Amino acid sequence: MSTNSVTESVDEYCNRLWKALHNLPTPEREDFVREVRSHILERLEAEPEVTADVLTKIFRAVGEPKELASEYRTQAMLREATRSDAQWVLRPWVLLRATLRWGVTSIAGLVAFFVTVTGYGCAVVFYLCALLKPIFPTHIGLWLAAQHTLSLGYWNGRLSGAEVYGMSMRSPTSFVVLGTLGPTGGPIRELLGYWIIPIGFLCGALFFLATSMFTRWFIARFNRRKKWTASVSHVTSIPRVTELDSSR
Amino acid sequence: MDEYTAKQNPKSSDGRSLEPWEAQLRKGSLEMAILATLWTDEKYGLEILRALDGKSSLALAEGTLYLILNRLKTDGLVESKWVDAGTGHPRKYYWLTKVGKERLRAMARFWIQFSADLGELLDPLGDRKEKHSVHQ
Repeated sequence: MSTNSVTESVDEYCNRLWKALHNLPTPEREDFVREVRSHILERLEAEPEVTADVLTKIFRAVGEPKELASEYRTQAMLREATRSDAQWVLRPWVLLRATLRWGVTSIAGLVAFFVTVTGYGCAVVFYLCALLKPIFPTHIGLWLAAQHTLSLGYWNGRLSGAEVYGMSMRSPTSFVVLGTLGPTGGPIRELLGYWIIPIGFLCGALFFLATSMFTRWFIARFNRRKKWTASVSHVTSIPRVTELDSSR
Repeated sequence: MDEYTAKQNPKSSDGRSLEPWEAQLRKGSLEMAILATLWTDEKYGLEILRALDGKSSLALAEGTLYLILNRLKTDGLVESKWVDAGTGHPRKYYWLTKVGKERLRAMARFWIQFSADLGELLDPLGDRKEKHSVHQ
């Protein structure tokens, strides 16, 4: 292969990696691509003759740009989500986005995502109830309905087919957040009155903080395992350094 | 390559592959192995891979080494800098931080104790193997 076509192939590989690393800060993106590029060039220098086959083997050993970038971006998101500054308190979407991405690739990530959605969902319902109570005083509240159904949120105003939108639980195992358990028959009564305003703000803040702290702890605790898995998962399918490296 | 593949896919006597178990074992020791390659001196990515490949039989997808190094750096266990090595392109060198050295020491202590204990437990198997081969 001519030097030009080798350079073109390496550039093309690096461009694909660069594009796949979108949404990352430019300096971080540049640094990673530069390092992978340096690695590829290092490997090429060790070859007495660079053929298309050798080049393909090296690219395969380094990894598919999309997969590599995907792992890097997941790692970057999780890193951002667990960073020890105060901003994370105001950015639940950072945790939601990170756990969603993590959840696509691992069970632990999926658990983290569902816990995060549920926790923040509860916080949202509490906050909305506190905010909307003065506007819809007869429809917003903590409701006790038939079949021991306890609900927090907006009541549809019907006694027959009463339905509450927000979060509900019914013994022994039914629970829903940001939704409804469906209509219930029989009486329904409100339990808190205007106390829901301070209680809603307080519980909303508690759920919000507890969810953020738990998710950050969970990521820090379980994320490490995933990365190592990714690292050795292709161990039998890649050529070894010593196989390709003819300088040794 | 065949030798390597065989090494990576050993089978127990019941014909089942030991690969998942072995992969778990390798996976668990990878962080320690990478840190250990940096114990004596600073290295760049390919040097770390060569050290892993040559001394530990721990091979890994090369690109993901940089993901792990990145993570180790975030954890404060390694530090890095770009160096113009005169090869026409710069190399990124990694070295252990003080925290990294302490972590590696602790890991090594645990590993040595753990493998000694396990070795003791597995000793009878070695005897059995020898007897078995004598009988044959």
